[in-house]
Amino acid sequence: MLEVSNLMVFYENALALNDFSMKVEQGNIIAIIGSNSAGKTTLMNTLSGLILDTKIKEQRKGGERITLYGTIRFESEDITNVQPYDRVKRGMVLCRERHPIFPESDLVENLKIAGYLQKSSEVSAGVDYVFRLFPTLVRLKSRKAGFLSGGEQQMLTIGMALMVKPKMLLLDEPLLGLSPLMQNTLVDAIKKIRAETGLTIVITEQFARPILPMIDHGYIIENGMLTMEGSGIELMDNPEVKAAYFGV
Amino acid sequence: MLEVTLIYGFINSIILSLVALGFSLTFGISGVSNFAYGAMYILAGYAVWIFINKLSMPFFLAVILAVVLTAGLGLALYRFVLLRVRGLVISEVIATFGVGLAILELFRYLGFTTFEYTLPVFTDGSIEIGNTYIDHQRLWIVGVGIALAVGLYLFTHHTKLGLAFRAIAQDEKTALSLGINSDRIAGISVAFGSGLAAVAAVLILPRGTISVNEGYDVLINAMAVCIIGGLGSTVGVVVASFLIGYAQMLTDAFSGPHWKMIVSLVAILIILVVKPSGLFGKQKELEERI
Repeated sequence: MLEVSNLMVFYENALALNDFSMKVEQGNIIAIIGSNSAGKTTLMNTLSGLILDTKIKEQRKGGERITLYGTIRFESEDITNVQPYDRVKRGMVLCRERHPIFPESDLVENLKIAGYLQKSSEVSAGVDYVFRLFPTLVRLKSRKAGFLSGGEQQMLTIGMALMVKPKMLLLDEPLLGLSPLMQNTLVDAIKKIRAETGLTIVITEQFARPILPMIDHGYIIENGMLTMEGSGIELMDNPEVKAAYFGV
Repeated sequence: MLEVTLIYGFINSIILSLVALGFSLTFGISGVSNFAYGAMYILAGYAVWIFINKLSMPFFLAVILAVVLTAGLGLALYRFVLLRVRGLVISEVIATFGVGLAILELFRYLGFTTFEYTLPVFTDGSIEIGNTYIDHQRLWIVGVGIALAVGLYLFTHHTKLGLAFRAIAQDEKTALSLGINSDRIAGISVAFGSGLAAVAAVLILPRGTISVNEGYDVLINAMAVCIIGGLGSTVGVVVASFLIGYAQMLTDAFSGPHWKMIVSLVAILIILVVKPSGLFGKQKELEERI
């Protein structure tokens, strides 16, 4: 479904992603595990196309020069130079890290904004689905999203992405800054989304422990380079992964 | 005396909110600068005058054409000027203000400064409330002004396009990653704002002659209303219009008309010191509370 080959991303002369390739099959959950500054967010921004927008904005103000090499193919079409909003239309949606929401709009309005590409009838059905998936959000309906807690905002971000009815969901560090309890709630929700909709999901994360058990295939990256790949169980049994991510 | 002040204060307030609505839609709600707003307003006035007097068009056709033309000009301003500096707020302000300056001073250079430049009223006549006479044009202003304010509120809260306007102002990247083409939405927003400036112009300008200097006053008033009401809030625009509108009328009545112009400037000053996000401002409210 998604095929990334030989992706390289430079910020000025610094190499953020080095010759990275991966494949995602329909209906799978894939994880990219790496520590801080491993290139996870750069990868997600490149997959979703947001980096094209950043690149233009940086060019305008004479800031960092961003250079991209390699190709991204989605449903066997080359989307390397497709704008982010068009990638969303093709069915690929990213939840950015640190749960960005529209802080001044209330919760329901956030979901409505996310339904921009849908018909009005589909929007209300979508809102109902999100509330069924995250029952905690129901009583916060009319609260301004900026006043929600981190976990609630993260649920909302995922809810907003689901409003788009994507074929592929990209989650950039969905567990960042959350309590272990909230992490479990979200992991359960992700499993539930997969079970109910058969959505293809790509997750980047540094918390390997809650993520590895549910994935079909995982990649470990360090300093922008792929160091290891395998199924969830293979990775969990690997002594190096154990040492680096489980502290054993 | 008091009655006149109250009634004309009300009308003055509606005029202010009418003037500010378009500016608020572009700058407040969508976060795109259009400081050529005053120029658009005056340009629409001259356009109607030219359509009627030089091309002898019927009045309402001229009005519709002028609104469409001004909106189109707004779109062109976005496409050819703003798009190149989008994201750099100061550059956006300077570039659009420069364009506005060029348009206004071009009119002055071409000699559009005499008293012959007046627009016809919508309908002639007046009504009497108590002992105060109000002409039909001012009633039109009140009616359309209220309708547009309500319309703008409903538009920005209940339509997809309106929600997208507010989305790109709050978090452009999130909007992009939800499939909202932020460049296109911003362009539409500038076009809508310019169109509203034209609507305000054809309603308000028939009260006197069209003068180039009014373009600057319009921009200052629109800015004052938006800053005091708080960027991004339609309710704020209306409340601030009434505050400034009545303050101007009372100053006019008790201290003399030459003090009237500084009211909005003083109001900007006070609000920036006391509550920088404005009375109903949302933009910074969250940060201030934390």
